[in-house]
Amino acid sequence: MYTLRRWWDRHRFQIILVSLTLGTALFLRQTQGALVLEIYQLLTRPFQGNPTQQSRLEDARILELQQRLVEMESQNDELKKVLGYTTENKVPQEIISPVIGRSSDHWWQQITLGRGSRDGISMGDIVMAPGGVVGRIVGVTASTSRVLLLSDPSNQVGVSISRSRSMGYMRGQSGNRAVMEFFDKVPDVKRGDAVATSAFSQLYPAGLPIGRVESINLSKSPAPEAVIELSAPISYLEWAVVRSGKTSSQPTSDSQPSDSAPSNSVPSSSEPSQEATP
Amino acid sequence: MNLKEIERWHPISQVALNWAITAGSVLICLLMLPTRLPGMELAGVSPNWLLIWVVAWSVKRSPFQGAIAGLVLGLIQDGLTSPHPTHALSLALVGFFTARLRKQRYIQEDFISVALIVFAMAVVAETVIALQFTLQDKRSLAEIWTYHQFIALSSAILSSLWAPILYFPLKRWWEWVSSLEQA
Repeated sequence: MYTLRRWWDRHRFQIILVSLTLGTALFLRQTQGALVLEIYQLLTRPFQGNPTQQSRLEDARILELQQRLVEMESQNDELKKVLGYTTENKVPQEIISPVIGRSSDHWWQQITLGRGSRDGISMGDIVMAPGGVVGRIVGVTASTSRVLLLSDPSNQVGVSISRSRSMGYMRGQSGNRAVMEFFDKVPDVKRGDAVATSAFSQLYPAGLPIGRVESINLSKSPAPEAVIELSAPISYLEWAVVRSGKTSSQPTSDSQPSDSAPSNSVPSSSEPSQEATP
Repeated sequence: MNLKEIERWHPISQVALNWAITAGSVLICLLMLPTRLPGMELAGVSPNWLLIWVVAWSVKRSPFQGAIAGLVLGLIQDGLTSPHPTHALSLALVGFFTARLRKQRYIQEDFISVALIVFAMAVVAETVIALQFTLQDKRSLAEIWTYHQFIALSSAILSSLWAPILYFPLKRWWEWVSSLEQA
């Protein structure tokens, strides 16, 4: 008892300090570093420019519009074939937010936005930029939010080729490239085709522009692959648009009768679009 | 601020000041992580400030202290990015190994040896993370290890070059504090 007491007297200070620091670290970890991010947002506020359209982003904007046009035309043709199609698209609320930080670690492709739950952003919201989809929200604090970019390898999205409706899923690679794996053995795809999110995606609404096909490898096993160049300028984003609100009501996936749909739009097997959440 | 003045302070307020400065330097490192200042970036990779801090802390301390510091900073970094795989393991190992090197026993010179330690430890840390990814089985092996080569090299180069900017002020401060405690 006495030795224990003496040991406690000698080490009391260190033990309390160590448990305090460990406690703080655990707290920061459980709260997703909210405190640090809030301080970061406060400190960088003077440096955050107002979201202004810049000339180098305009090219990307034009590309996005072109892709949307291809997507719309193709979708329109399909809709004409389907009788009794009614759409009840909700218009999502759009929050423009500055990009205040990149990822805090090299293995994750993340960005930090300077708007948070106070401005109406919630988990799972879709983040857009001039050029198309950028990613989705995986963490929110009062005035910041963290975006998992499409270029992160753990971010898997169901996508389709806008021209031919060939389906597959896409997995990020670092930089602004991603790899798309097709469900079909012989997909109808060629270089330069626009790629958009598909109706099979559970996390993203259908028909949002993503990028264009850069190269194709049809002999790849187990499934043909294509390298996709993301059209949003992910490496020099200065601001992004968060589409808030539940946009999950996807008219195409619910009201599309499977028997009258074109045969190439339905994946042959029961492969779902795999979408991993990290 | 005049250091002579602090010498006349009450010991408890001196200790409090020491911890405030230590915690403050960690906070600065945390705030540096998401920023990409011009000249601090190599192909999208920035210096690993937390690793530099753990090395600076562990160089003249016991392996246990080094591991605890690595654990604490690793948990915080988990909160800022994603907890799977954890950064706590890699940084704790870095703290442990750095302290085990017992640099001052072999090398008196400070400037280059710390840069070299940071270089080696950055490679160790990224390898531990890559191993965890390998066990996790979410990304393909080829992807992980090609990416690992790229990250380990650029992060090691950048971190070792930027290490002295953090190491020297902290070293001076901790040396001064320990001289005060002995007096």
